Amino acid sequence: MTLLEVSGLNVFHGDLQAIFDLDLRVGEGEVVALVGANGAGKTTMMRALVGLIASKQGRIRFDGAEISAASAEDIARAGLCMVPEGRMLFDSLTVLENLMMGQVLRRRGYWTLERVFELFPILAERRSAMPRHLSGGQQQMVAIGRALICNPRLLLCDEISLGLAPLMVEQIYAAFAQIGKQGTALVLVEQDVKRASAAADRLYCLLKGRISLETAAGAVRVEDLTRAYFGA
Amino acid sequence: MAWIETVVNGLLLGGLYGLIGIGLALVFGVMRVVDGAQGEFMVMAAFFAVIVLAAAPDLHPLIIFGLAILFSFCVGYVYQSWIVNRSMQSSDPLAPLLLTFGVSIILRSVMVEVFGADLRGLQLGSLSRASIAIFNINIGVMPLLTLATSIALFLLLQWMLKRTSFGRIIRATADRRDIVRLFGVKPDRVYACVMAMSVALSAIAGLFLAARASFTPFSGVERLLIAFEVVVLGGIGSFWGPLIGGLALGVTQLVGLKWDPNAGLLYCHLLFFIMILIRPSGLVASRS
Repeated sequence: MTLLEVSGLNVFHGDLQAIFDLDLRVGEGEVVALVGANGAGKTTMMRALVGLIASKQGRIRFDGAEISAASAEDIARAGLCMVPEGRMLFDSLTVLENLMMGQVLRRRGYWTLERVFELFPILAERRSAMPRHLSGGQQQMVAIGRALICNPRLLLCDEISLGLAPLMVEQIYAAFAQIGKQGTALVLVEQDVKRASAAADRLYCLLKGRISLETAAGAVRVEDLTRAYFGA
Repeated sequence: MAWIETVVNGLLLGGLYGLIGIGLALVFGVMRVVDGAQGEFMVMAAFFAVIVLAAAPDLHPLIIFGLAILFSFCVGYVYQSWIVNRSMQSSDPLAPLLLTFGVSIILRSVMVEVFGADLRGLQLGSLSRASIAIFNINIGVMPLLTLATSIALFLLLQWMLKRTSFGRIIRATADRRDIVRLFGVKPDRVYACVMAMSVALSAIAGLFLAARASFTPFSGVERLLIAFEVVVLGGIGSFWGPLIGGLALGVTQLVGLKWDPNAGLLYCHLLFFIMILIRPSGLVASRS
């Protein structure tokens, strides 16, 4: 079953076009990696999907409904959620309050505060701390937990590992295995190809706003990927 | 003893000044918008009360106050959703400032047109003149009530922002207005609610002011000036700042007046000016 189907998507930043004629598909419960160099348009693409960028053309179908003209609020309500690049925590809210923002959507399901605290025990310990007093990895856990409590059908994770210590990245990717078990589909946006393809079922590579490669994650050939990533 | 009485009365007046600033501070804190029309909203609430009082003289003052606050709450909601939200979409931070000042000029002119430029007062009967003596100091009941209301409203607002889920949504929206949308929050609607609360708070200040001294449609300008001074003096972005700033201004004004009866608000403006020079961050250092 296809959960997300994007066809012929064009996204604009003012007069500049950032995404060209893009097709992309994510199945129910599937883990998809979206890799690409800096400036390839990955973040723009994610922000367009969740409705934060309105200037776009093309079709986006999510869970059977057309959402290309829907507001970010309605898209979230439908269960398409995002862990934004740079974590984007609410700085004047405590860890607990940040997580509770995920409850505002009232999408019930497996993920609750308790389950998130089980997944990331350190957050339970630091629930009253302000985000700026956390390490980068802990902040990322808050951002992931906050999105999980929305109980998304599909979770877009934008540059989760950026700027984190390798050990921390290990821990966070271990959590993704558990998240996937609940049937949540995932899109992992990464610059780190190895990391992303190890966790994913399928892989897309984005180059200058276009899909340059689509393949099963296990069957990636290095020379193909190098060409798709850097351009020839 | 007379000086102590002056300081005490200054503090009571300061409570009112704090209340004048709180609406402006709330809107600025959440939306980063300086609302130039808050002064007119204070005057408008007072006119509303005067009209209701003239139409139904037997109504209890509390009911009249309640109606005026409810009216202001609705005005604030509509004002934000129809007008200010539109200008906030502009990337120019000056746009909402200019717009709200424009609104203030229009409101002022409309009030002159409808009510005339005569001095008005809000007569609350014996309550206006009642006083009690504490330690040989005569304290007006009305000013005491004003300070108590002011502190109660500050506490209530603080509780609402810190402890309720709506307060949490307001703070999150103030932090990141785009990211809250990923959690189903419509920032425009949050802003409309915040503006409604802000105009309602300003209405309370406007009603107390009107009960204290007469006003005209032009009084909004000086009320806004006090609101500005209170907010900046207290420290922009700090929660208790407006109350502290208001108390400082109130004491300064009355002590100044006692020492120099012709001074008016001169010493308040001087205090404000000096503070801007030596401590622009305000009396209460901001955390954010």
